[in-house]
Amino acid sequence: MRSTSMSKRVISASWGAVWLLLVGCGGAAVPQEQLSAAQAAEKGAEVAGAAEDPKAALYLKLAREGLDRAKALIADDRNEEARAVIDRAQADADLAIAIAKETQAKRQAADTREQVEQLKQRIEKQ
Amino acid sequence: MTTRFRLQSMTAHSIAWLLLPAAVQLACSAAIPPKELVDARSVYTRVAAGPAKDLAPADLDTAKQSLARAEGAFQEDGDSQRTRDFAYVAERRTLQAEAQAGIVQAERDREATDKDLKRAQLATIDKTRAELDSERRAKEASRAQAEAATKEVTRTRADLEAEKKAREEAEKRAAAAMASLAEVAKVKEESRGVVITLSGAVLFATAKSDLLPIAVQKLSEVARALKDQGFKEIVVEGHTDSQGSATKNEALSLARAEAVRFQLVSQGIPSEKIRAVGLGSSRPVAENSTAEGRANNRRVEIVVTPNR
Repeated sequence: MRSTSMSKRVISASWGAVWLLLVGCGGAAVPQEQLSAAQAAEKGAEVAGAAEDPKAALYLKLAREGLDRAKALIADDRNEEARAVIDRAQADADLAIAIAKETQAKRQAADTREQVEQLKQRIEKQ
Repeated sequence: MTTRFRLQSMTAHSIAWLLLPAAVQLACSAAIPPKELVDARSVYTRVAAGPAKDLAPADLDTAKQSLARAEGAFQEDGDSQRTRDFAYVAERRTLQAEAQAGIVQAERDREATDKDLKRAQLATIDKTRAELDSERRAKEASRAQAEAATKEVTRTRADLEAEKKAREEAEKRAAAAMASLAEVAKVKEESRGVVITLSGAVLFATAKSDLLPIAVQKLSEVARALKDQGFKEIVVEGHTDSQGSATKNEALSLARAEAVRFQLVSQGIPSEKIRAVGLGSSRPVAENSTAEGRANNRRVEIVVTPNR
């Protein structure tokens, strides 16, 4: 009987320790999912050609800097702050993607227009 | 005024310390939004008035909610890091909506231009086809021309061949006619033309101008030969010997020439191309002193002026 109540006490104490480890230190868990998502968005921006587009490149740079800072904060156990920085980086990366895609779509439209012009000129010339 | 005096009576130091927390509270809750929020608001106001409202409504709505979250944070705890973070994100979401609208617009432009492109491509194809067609037609036309020319040359050659053949035939016929003529009469080429001399004894009885039956036959052959050869004009000359009166001889020679002319006309020689003259004894071809010479002088000459 006694040993049982002892072990119960030990178990609850260790649960408490785990809880403290998870929540207590730095006050929040590591925002791993958010970090992964933001990193994926940053890669997406690269693939979309954000680095070659001056306007998009600015936001890509901000996203990278934010991710670096977030990682440093996580290493410092400052997870709450890291989460906010990651949110910013995510927004920067998303914007970089949108701008790169916009540039690409405009270029395609211009290319098509140019093709039409060339054909029209050829038709008129002949 | 009284309040002012009362405040002045307190030490400035203690007043400042008393009012500081209230001032901080006021500043936080009432105004002075952070730069991030100011930017987010102005960007949102600009973008919401633009094409994003129609072209990217979902993205603009996301931006709106994001800005509302920032405004909420600002209401709750003023110029906090949270407010700044939310406002920062809200500005990006708004710009993202603007970019999305740009994407949609560019895609629409491209779709519209694509239709133009297809039309232009079709027009190019039509044009090229038409050019090829006209080229082909031109080639066919020139080929047809060449063929016609070849045909023409062939035809001309055939014509020439036929003409040559006809001429040869005519010449042959003429030669044959001359040969057959030579059998019935004396044929001689002189400067005035071909002279066919028929003996008076063969044609007429003495002092008569009626053709003998044998003469009719001979003249038929002469007429056929003349028709075959072709000519410009024929003069039938009657000649006599010197016996008897000149007047009588002339009359007789003319009557005989007329008889020959009439016979030739009846055999198909056109009357307007043939005339008769009586020359009497004025142009003897032999001595009138001998019987043989006189027989030679009694004659009819058919003078044929050739075509050329």
